[in-house]
Amino acid sequence: MGRIDEAVSVLVDQEGIPTLFRWRKKDYQVSSRPVRWFARTEWWVGERAHRGIGSGAVEVEMWRFIATGDGSKCPFELLHNTAANSWKLLSRFE
Amino acid sequence: MSFTHLHVASGFSSHYGANSPELLVETAHNLGFDALGITDRDGLYGAVKHIGACLQVDLAPIVGVDLPVMDEDGSLLARVVVLAHGQSKGLGWATLCAVVTEAHAGGKKKQFGIKRTKLAALASSGVVTVLLGPDSDVGRATLGRSKNAAVKALGKWLELFSKPGTLGLEIVSLLTEPGKLFSSAQAKRMLELADAYAVPTVLTNAVRYIDPDDAITADILDAARHLEPLGKFEPQPNAQAYLKSSKQMLSVAVEIAGTKRAKQLIADTNLLADLCRLDPVSDCGWGKAKTPEKEALGITGSPFEVLFQKVQSGVNWRYGSVSKKELTKIQHRLNQELITINKLGFATYFLTVADVAQMIRDMNIRIAARGSGAGSLVNYLLGISSVDPVEHDLLFERFLSVERSSLPDIDIDVESARRHDIYRAIFKRYGSKRVTLLSMQSTYRGRGAMRDSALALGIDPDQVDEIASNMWRFSASSFRNALKVKPELAAFAEEVERNRVMNLLVDMTERLDRIPRHISMHPCGVILGDLTLPSLTPVEPSGMGLPMSQFDKDDMDPMGLLKLDVLGVRMQSTMAYAVQEIKRVRGFELDLDGIPKDDAKTFESINTTNTLGIFQIESPGQRELTGKHQLTVFNDLTIQISLFRPGPMKGNMILPYLDRRHGFEKPEYIHPDLKPILSETFGVVIFHEHVLRILHKMTGCTLARADELRRSLEKPGTKGLIEKFFRLEATKRGYSKQLIDKVWKILEGFGSFGFCKAHGAAFAMPTYQSAWLKTHYPTEFLSGLLTHDPGMYPRRLLVAEARRLGVKLLPIDINKSSEVFHVEKVGKETGVRMSFVDLQSISEAEIKRFIAGQPYENLSDFYLRGKPTRRTFERLALIGAFDSLVDSKDTTRGDILSKVKELNAMKQRPLEDDADALFYGKFIESLPKGNPEPSVDDKVNTEMSLLGMDITQHALEKYRPMLDELGVVFSSELSSIRSKTNVLVAGVRVATQTPPMRSGKRVVFISLDDGAGCSDSTFFEDAQNRCSHLLFNTRLMLIGGKVRRTGVRGVSIMAENAWRLDELWDQWNAKRLAISL
Repeated sequence: MGRIDEAVSVLVDQEGIPTLFRWRKKDYQVSSRPVRWFARTEWWVGERAHRGIGSGAVEVEMWRFIATGDGSKCPFELLHNTAANSWKLLSRFE
Repeated sequence: MSFTHLHVASGFSSHYGANSPELLVETAHNLGFDALGITDRDGLYGAVKHIGACLQVDLAPIVGVDLPVMDEDGSLLARVVVLAHGQSKGLGWATLCAVVTEAHAGGKKKQFGIKRTKLAALASSGVVTVLLGPDSDVGRATLGRSKNAAVKALGKWLELFSKPGTLGLEIVSLLTEPGKLFSSAQAKRMLELADAYAVPTVLTNAVRYIDPDDAITADILDAARHLEPLGKFEPQPNAQAYLKSSKQMLSVAVEIAGTKRAKQLIADTNLLADLCRLDPVSDCGWGKAKTPEKEALGITGSPFEVLFQKVQSGVNWRYGSVSKKELTKIQHRLNQELITINKLGFATYFLTVADVAQMIRDMNIRIAARGSGAGSLVNYLLGISSVDPVEHDLLFERFLSVERSSLPDIDIDVESARRHDIYRAIFKRYGSKRVTLLSMQSTYRGRGAMRDSALALGIDPDQVDEIASNMWRFSASSFRNALKVKPELAAFAEEVERNRVMNLLVDMTERLDRIPRHISMHPCGVILGDLTLPSLTPVEPSGMGLPMSQFDKDDMDPMGLLKLDVLGVRMQSTMAYAVQEIKRVRGFELDLDGIPKDDAKTFESINTTNTLGIFQIESPGQRELTGKHQLTVFNDLTIQISLFRPGPMKGNMILPYLDRRHGFEKPEYIHPDLKPILSETFGVVIFHEHVLRILHKMTGCTLARADELRRSLEKPGTKGLIEKFFRLEATKRGYSKQLIDKVWKILEGFGSFGFCKAHGAAFAMPTYQSAWLKTHYPTEFLSGLLTHDPGMYPRRLLVAEARRLGVKLLPIDINKSSEVFHVEKVGKETGVRMSFVDLQSISEAEIKRFIAGQPYENLSDFYLRGKPTRRTFERLALIGAFDSLVDSKDTTRGDILSKVKELNAMKQRPLEDDADALFYGKFIESLPKGNPEPSVDDKVNTEMSLLGMDITQHALEKYRPMLDELGVVFSSELSSIRSKTNVLVAGVRVATQTPPMRSGKRVVFISLDDGAGCSDSTFFEDAQNRCSHLLFNTRLMLIGGKVRRTGVRGVSIMAENAWRLDELWDQWNAKRLAISL
């Protein structure tokens, strides 16, 4: 398993499920049904925690799926910060 | 497909739930749900509020509890949800109450929770359903590899809960990482397990907040519960435990089990929800008044007839000697009250309260009614109240009427020191099945919210205490805003800018505001019911051991429970103590309730404004008002107490009343018809009773109706209707439009500003009684004040007041002092013997031991038998407690101290009966000689630092030469100095107050005691700028300013500057030294 932790751009379908992502200038096609869960953040290392700051301060969406690209096929884990709508490739399982 | 939430924690789940039941219900309603459950952790704390809120928006209420279940060996098996079945004639509710009460039965010592076998036995009645969720032994077993473990765990539950419908599995997915607790994978496994063994299943979301945003609040609450900072314990997995919509819940179900099984799961959930829908009336006794059964009160036959008999004999007791004409009037009024009571079916209620009142009196404890109950003749005749409503012109309708059917509040004041005795006696008399104490929920406010937020961030709570102590007069929820505007928070605001953690702290503190924090015993409430009480409310042990309901005072009315307020009042203890001392020392029994109410000396003494220690009128504001008012009759006390309330003060009633009373302005009665109503206050509308009578007179409505109208006047929505009614009816009765306009303007402006006269009169009684005692028996009264400490001032001020009154102060004496302040005969005179209680760091056990060993022959004797700690021994010597053991002619206090030090230096105290002890104890002890006697100044300083008060002489005396030279005046001289004269006053600061002002500007009031009384100075902004650093923590001060006359004897000082007395003293001495050189 390789920890990667790099920003990626992601293409999602109507329900917000990732279908394709681009990492280090290569495209990866999601080729299994993605599993989604929510993981928490440590908001208390941040600056603010006021009422109405939103769920994005407490939790992030996690996605796990098998993707094909750059001549290989393996499981990936993506982190989606819903508040900022930013994506990160967390890990690649080879 | 609609869904019903069955597992929901409200904010009443201490340190767990984030939102109020009301907000949860409102949100559920907006989400389109038609039923909602509440399952607070460990109790039904929010249940009644939940039901009430559900009824408001037509949602079906469902109630359960979330609590730990233990195995036989006490090990924790699970936190389960227990839901009460509805429409079961209350059986489901009663069983739920029994489950909760059982879980608390172990008290604080044992682990909280219910044994599984106990729960199974209670559930076997078939009227509750127990749900095992992901965090149960079964749920956790499904996370493991072996399927067997989960099957085995479930088997044990099924064995005990054999009756169908008593046990189900709670399927929950909080969408956590696959395979973890609360994941969809776990939910799926639990569902499969349930299906394999035909166990019913329901879907819940284990809700603890309304919105994911509140998950932060829940995190902070978790930290407070764990008593550990965030990051140091396993936190909630994410922010998914919120009140999801039906659609969201369906999609969770689909994720767990696929579309088909998901739909079945939700249908099954709704099935259980339907079974649990409560009918508040038939299930919980909603709104139905419950009073003790006749046999509990020892009566047979119709309660109303018994009540009738009782009040008739009360007439003979209270009005034995009045004229026939008076009696007819009284009988007429009595009949009116009885008709109302009978119509409402409250006879048993009155008999109950009367029974309790009689019991209290039989225990020889002082009792007085408070509040609107004093307006009832029936209460007076039953001995519940001691204020004559006929004499004081009070109205029954303000207290009770057919227009309102809720049980009225009768509040009784008793001696504070005997309150717990009374509670125990009530339990004994009616049995613990009919009685329980009332609880109250304290909620997070500024200081607590900040401390717990600090804890969550790992900041030492003591570090934020100083900031927290500045958090007042604004709610914690507007903390950030307050940072911008409050000068006292300026320094902290700057820190917030710089410091990330402090910045967070502000946000977190705001979030906790108003969330319930912990439950405790209500300071005065007792619930009295019939034998069904244990089926209506769960109870848990209170701090004093007696059972306490989990419901608070707001829950009483909806649940139809009778709450009796037995309030401990220190002044009642003080007066009882004074009466007891009078009997002990003077040998006669004083009937305080029978003293004449028109004693001129008493009013004379009140009017001097030296009202310190007198109930209700001792504050600086009341003192000033007393000076302006100059009372002459009892009713004046009622008026004054009522005037000095937020309502009448805001309604600006004081000034016109005073001006008219003293003839600066002509009384104005508006119309001859209103003169009899308003003559007591010279035409100023002050009392609720005034409004009732005016409405009654001008519209012809009944007084009962008038009180309803008055209540509606306070609500802006209904004002228009009342105006219409008033104008129409008054016009019909021939009042002119001009007059109607004028009266309406007054009524409209009255709003919520007035005060209930009955309440004022009830308070006026102990006020008068305490003033009478202070006037005629100052020594006994002061000994009561010092012992029971009823007022707002420190003991040292009471000591100064005693000195001013010429009451002899007897110093602490090892052979004569005790745990109380006794009156002691000194020759022909009497004095107050100071008590041990104020000595710094003395323990209760020591005091008991010292008293038990009295008298002591000499120091060694005391050393051996009194067994003081070294520190206490030395301190007693320093304040002169051993002076009486020696001959003052040849032994000084310094000699005594030297001997004490010698004894203290011994490594071990010899036993009482060994040879050494004999040597030290029985032989004439030799004291060292030649040590100096401390000066009076030194003695006073020692007293101040070890006792917190100056007994030998007033602390100001030391500075007298300087004060005389400066021309400082005594507070008692102020009332004869012309207005605007510049003066200097000095004294010990006794109170600093900064009341809220209409202008929003801060004004500081300071009272100084100079031994002749108290002077009151006002510091406006300019003056504050000159000396604000002195106003809050200087003990001895000099204040300069202008005399401000505010009435006949009302006087205060408009301060210009202030100084520390000790600094001036040093300067003055230095100068004097310089001159003499």
